[in-house]
Amino acid sequence: MPLFDSEFLKKLEYLSLVSKRVFRGSLLAQRRTMQLGTGVEFADHREYTPGDDFRYLDWNLYARHDELLLKRFQEEEDLHVYFLLDASRSMAFGDPPKFDFARRVGAALAYIALADLDRIAVTAFAADVAADFPLTRGKDRILSLLKFLENLEPRGEDTNLERVATGFVHRDQRRGLVVVLSDLYDPAGFERGLDILRHRRYEPHVVQIHDRYEREPADMLGDVEMWDVESGTSRKVTVTEKNLRQYRALFDDFQDKVQGYCTRHALGCTRTSTEVTFDELILRMMRTAGAVR
Amino acid sequence: MNLISPFALWWLLLAVPVVVFYVLKIRLKRVPVSTVIFWRQIFDEKKPRSLWQRLRHLVSLLVQLALLAMLVAALAEPFFSWEAAGARRVVLVVDNSASMAATDVAPSRLERAKEEAAAVIRGLRPRDELAIVAVSPQPRVVCGLTGHHRTLLDALAGIPQTDGPSPLAAAAAVARRLAADTDGGGKEPQVVVVTDGCGEAAPAAADVRVVAVGEKVGNVGITRFQARRSTLDPIGYEVLIEVANQSDDPTGDFRLVLKLNDHPLDVVPLNLPPNGKWSKTIDSTTADGGRLTAELVVKGEKGDAPYPDALAADNTAVAVLPKREPMPVHLHSPAGNWFLENVLRANPLVNLTVGKQLADAPPPGAVVVYHREVPKTLPPGNVLVIDPANGCDLWAVGDKLANPIVTQQDKDSPVMAHVRLDNVLMPEAHKLTFTPAAGKPRVLAGVVTGDPVFAQIDRPSGPVVVLTVDLDKGELPFRTAFPILATNALALFAGGAGELREAVATGATADVNLPATGQAFELVSPDGSVRKLPAGAAKATAGPFDRCGVWAVTADGKPIEEVAVNLMNRAESDLRPTAPEAPPATAADAGLTSGLLGRPVWWYLTAAGFLLVALEWYLYQRRWIS
Repeated sequence: MPLFDSEFLKKLEYLSLVSKRVFRGSLLAQRRTMQLGTGVEFADHREYTPGDDFRYLDWNLYARHDELLLKRFQEEEDLHVYFLLDASRSMAFGDPPKFDFARRVGAALAYIALADLDRIAVTAFAADVAADFPLTRGKDRILSLLKFLENLEPRGEDTNLERVATGFVHRDQRRGLVVVLSDLYDPAGFERGLDILRHRRYEPHVVQIHDRYEREPADMLGDVEMWDVESGTSRKVTVTEKNLRQYRALFDDFQDKVQGYCTRHALGCTRTSTEVTFDELILRMMRTAGAVR
Repeated sequence: MNLISPFALWWLLLAVPVVVFYVLKIRLKRVPVSTVIFWRQIFDEKKPRSLWQRLRHLVSLLVQLALLAMLVAALAEPFFSWEAAGARRVVLVVDNSASMAATDVAPSRLERAKEEAAAVIRGLRPRDELAIVAVSPQPRVVCGLTGHHRTLLDALAGIPQTDGPSPLAAAAAVARRLAADTDGGGKEPQVVVVTDGCGEAAPAAADVRVVAVGEKVGNVGITRFQARRSTLDPIGYEVLIEVANQSDDPTGDFRLVLKLNDHPLDVVPLNLPPNGKWSKTIDSTTADGGRLTAELVVKGEKGDAPYPDALAADNTAVAVLPKREPMPVHLHSPAGNWFLENVLRANPLVNLTVGKQLADAPPPGAVVVYHREVPKTLPPGNVLVIDPANGCDLWAVGDKLANPIVTQQDKDSPVMAHVRLDNVLMPEAHKLTFTPAAGKPRVLAGVVTGDPVFAQIDRPSGPVVVLTVDLDKGELPFRTAFPILATNALALFAGGAGELREAVATGATADVNLPATGQAFELVSPDGSVRKLPAGAAKATAGPFDRCGVWAVTADGKPIEEVAVNLMNRAESDLRPTAPEAPPATAADAGLTSGLLGRPVWWYLTAAGFLLVALEWYLYQRRWIS
């Protein structure tokens, strides 16, 4: 079964319709740059200097005060939306795999952005950048994007968000919204990577994905050889009920930690299980943003 | 220590797959996890694996091998030599007589006896053997010698409650023969009698142990109930009833209700003193017959309620009254005799026709009574001849006997039942000389000279009864013997038809005449169970009867004869034990149960195996072993 079938595309269209305008105002907020230019919204005046375009002279003011002032307008710029898609092996875990879920969510958000004439770029990462979909614009680019996503595979080893973020912010690109689609199972901690994005004036939005069997591990009691799908290492342990209780507590603490970090730094945060469908998640995000009721 | 089944040790080969599975098992199950971040926090905080943790897999294997060893050893059935030397051969005698149905101990004495007997069975030591003998109605081996508990318990459960007597002495004798060491096994014989001590006492002997059940309780019951035909009235009957209070307390008010075919016949209010009894003979009549029942009742909230004592079997009794069919009788008396004619006419069963000419043909199948004039050749069928004046093919008439005095009477003949002729004046009775055609007549009454005055000749074509007394000159017509004699003669001619069969006591047998029809005959008990009777026999013995009520002999499902069976056993009705000293109350008190320590070695091995399994499960649940 293809990851992005016609049903998926129908849902994208639907989501695009319900998100129009209002959704953009919050999640994919329409940003105005401080750069003054050829926009239509008046900003202020400045004195005329030779060489300025006469079309922007405020002739009314000249007639009234005999002073040459030039009208300045705030220039509207396209929103740049960057998707950081975790393609580490841990994302292949779950049923359905978290990676599939993340790709669908990313594709949906990208479609909505493209439909609003925003620019999007997708970076798949694990320990480092694994693949890039360059900055693009226009709804007609969605098929290319879907093809790119479909060809991705979760093959990366240990997630290293800090390294990825460092490389990402050093790119010659405009600031914008960074949607991080990941389980955030970074052995070094996810905070450092998000900190780098924040400090470089990107606006991270975290979509943290987990599988229900990560919350409630099945068939784990007893002597088991625990195999880390991300690092490929294994470890023989005896799991007791007490261990399971401890595990659940730690997992919940981690979830709370993600939420707490985002709240503390006023970042958008969406935590979800793969049990919900991607369109339900998008709608939930819209409701959170006030886009739909 | 020896093994009964050493070949079971081959099962030890199962240790091979156990070890193989163990080896496979320690190749741990591989469980993928998306991250070990959280697990690392958990397990890295734990101390290094202790020596126990390293050994616990091995302990698990050892536990399983120990379990296998125990189970295999149990299958091999090991036993000690002292077990074989101390083995017993026990015969359980279980009293299932009528008194064991008493409900003074719930649910009944028999059920309590079975519980005690089951305790003895469960207390058997490994090499012991046990057999079970049921007492009533006759001693019967219900299970031969065996040590298999399930077989013994099943046989014990199958012992039925009967209403029969308790022949404990005979049962103990059977048990002794069964327990006798005939095969030289050296087993100690022992007889255990489980009884309530009512009825026949268990024999006192060193090898007989008695386990008592039940308590000393009072009981009121019908101890006698017997019906017979009236000697005077052919359709009348007399019922002898006896009710006994076998208690040290008075009974209070209760009633005896007598019913014929469920229609009340008589109600007798009773109130008996301690150990008192009441008896009475009640007369009544019926030509149609039916079932006559007597029942002890008390006044209940909604009518009569059964008498509330511990034993119900003796609170009712039953008798069967057969229907009396009318009998055609033809009297030939040229001169007539008022007494003879009216004696016959007074019998309600007789359809009398009178003729004065020998040529008058009697009705078909009728009893022909000749008075004075007798044909030269007597007709076939039933013939009664009174005062023959002339001879015939069976006798010649001789001189008259002047004053004959009856000196001999055949008391065994039904014709002479309740008849005494020794003090009756019978002048001018004729002297008869029987011809060879008469064969050897049965003299019913003879005079001092040896001449018969009353005789019965059994011909192939029918019986002939002849009385030589002149009715006009003697005093016989004025005596009660005359109508009784006439009634008896007619009853003889009627054969067994309509005759009343006495009720029999439980445990007894009854002879039953079977018609030569070639059919298969069955004996149907009151509860509907069926027993086959021998085919082709003219007479069969039914019983011994083990239930109270009406038993029926049937052919193709239709009853041909019924037998009333009642308890009528004062000893069984008396629920107070007769033993002079109270025997041990329970099997445990009698030292007949070996308790937990008396079990075979394999039982302990199996129990230890289960304990080991439980222990392993406990340790496994806590991950102390794997």
